[in-house]
Amino acid sequence: MMAALVQVEEISKTYGGLRALDGVTFDVRAGEWIAIMGPSGSGKTTLINILGGLDRPTSGRAIVDGVNVGTLGERELTRYRAEKIGFVFQGFYLVPYLSAVENVMLAQYFHSTADEAEAAEALVRVGLGDRLEHLPSQLSGGEQQRVALARALINHPKLILADEPTGNLDEANEQIVLDLLRELHRSGHTILLVTHSPEIGRMADRRIELAHGRLMHIVANVT
Amino acid sequence: MFWRILWRLLYASRSRLALAVLAVASGAAVCATLINLDLDATDKLTREFRVLGANVVISGAQNGDDAATLDAAAAQQIEDLRLPEVVSVAPYLYLSAEAHAGANSTAVIVAGTWFDEAARMNSWWKVDGNWVSGRDNRSDCMIGEQAASRLGLIPGQNVTIRYAKQEATLRVAGIITAGSSEDSQIFIALPLAQELAGLGQRTSVIQITANGSARQIEDVIGRLSAALPGLQVRPLHQLAQAEGRLLEHIRGLLFGTVLLILVLTSLGVLAAMAGLALERRRDVGLMKALGGSVRRIMRFFLAEATAIALAGGICGFVVGIGLSEWIGERVFAVSITPRLIVLPATLALMVLVSLAGALPLRLLGRVRPSDILRGE
Repeated sequence: MMAALVQVEEISKTYGGLRALDGVTFDVRAGEWIAIMGPSGSGKTTLINILGGLDRPTSGRAIVDGVNVGTLGERELTRYRAEKIGFVFQGFYLVPYLSAVENVMLAQYFHSTADEAEAAEALVRVGLGDRLEHLPSQLSGGEQQRVALARALINHPKLILADEPTGNLDEANEQIVLDLLRELHRSGHTILLVTHSPEIGRMADRRIELAHGRLMHIVANVT
Repeated sequence: MFWRILWRLLYASRSRLALAVLAVASGAAVCATLINLDLDATDKLTREFRVLGANVVISGAQNGDDAATLDAAAAQQIEDLRLPEVVSVAPYLYLSAEAHAGANSTAVIVAGTWFDEAARMNSWWKVDGNWVSGRDNRSDCMIGEQAASRLGLIPGQNVTIRYAKQEATLRVAGIITAGSSEDSQIFIALPLAQELAGLGQRTSVIQITANGSARQIEDVIGRLSAALPGLQVRPLHQLAQAEGRLLEHIRGLLFGTVLLILVLTSLGVLAAMAGLALERRRDVGLMKALGGSVRRIMRFFLAEATAIALAGGICGFVVGIGLSEWIGERVFAVSITPRLIVLPATLALMVLVSLAGALPLRLLGRVRPSDILRGE
């Protein structure tokens, strides 16, 4: 049995009077692909944000790779995000005035040192070898999401957090991105992916289903 | 990577940044103009004032046997002090004498002085003919235009001066028009005046022209008083203080205007940057999510503000130097020399102003990435 890379213990998060997460507990082993599912407002993104060090829990503990994320100071959180987490967002979130390769290099720059050759290689791996110098506005949605994937992977993070990465893509591009995620999973990456899609949910090792901030089910998919 | 991102930032926001550069360039132009005027025009005006004559006078002690005169060696002593503010030192021995030229004669005040120093001190005097050359020239003299008129003299003619039982005949080298009491006087070499008066090395007063503000002149007076115990060192108050006040007012006006311009420039930059800050919120949130520290992210924006300051500052400097030359000629009637020190001074001021105006960008450090990624 592999040790848990992520341990979520009785996590709660309230915004004013609104309880976004309510006593959620689960573990994720290294190399696992977890799909976090549930209707809008069920707390999926809040959970991802807490694990990614973008938000703090009101109570409970979120331990990632031995680090209790909720207790980190601002500076430590910044290093944590740079070193341990790779984010992929539904809205791609690329810097509009940087080229594809520069967007990847930006993550390297914040982590340690930018290496253009390595950034270009990461883009070649996601099939964008001929789009290195293109600005985001010159790329399709699928291509932008692939740049975001390359950026998420460039610093070899412990955990990939993907918040509806195919939500803004057409079917063909969705398939390309999913194939890449599948490949990442096969190569041993740990992925937590938020999705509304039952089909995508079934691709994961396990599905965590949330409703009104509470953990309803953890379902292991049979492959 | 830093410079690459900075270049992309500048290029991407070029139209908005052009407004900020324009604001800085306008401010820099006015600042460079005023600083150059302050450095050069006030200096030149000080020199212009100096041509109006002496502003410090030294006389003998009020009580005692030699109350009316002092030892002329004091003038040499002052020269030897080599005070940087002192421009000229001229001893004057005044004699009430008679002057004769042909059939004409008149009572005149004869002033024995050092011609070289008197010429430097009174360079604004209009001279028909030439100044006497040589400090101890005993054969030539200068004569005031009223005295020359009474005696019917023109340059090159001779005049005879009689004092007590002594007499000296001198050639008129030049006729002076000063617009004051000097127009009725005859100027001869100090040693000759001393000989006529039989006063050995004595002199009536020593006049000094010193450069600087009223405060600097007070300082010169203090140092001279300390070096010449027993003598009275006094400012020619009327002129010295009026000059000082005028220069202080000009400087105050320039300083106040520069301050006002700096505030206005800062507001101009602030207005341009406020819009930019809104555009950049999303980028900053994303950079923070990717692990960028506030310090590292802010370095981009502060470098951007500095680049604006340098670009605007250099453009403004070029315009400002031209403007200061034009104003110098039109307003102060002096020709202004561009001072190189104005460039770093203008650039430093513009960097400060731009960084102050970049406050909205600095507030971006407070952006919470989760708010941005949630779409707020």
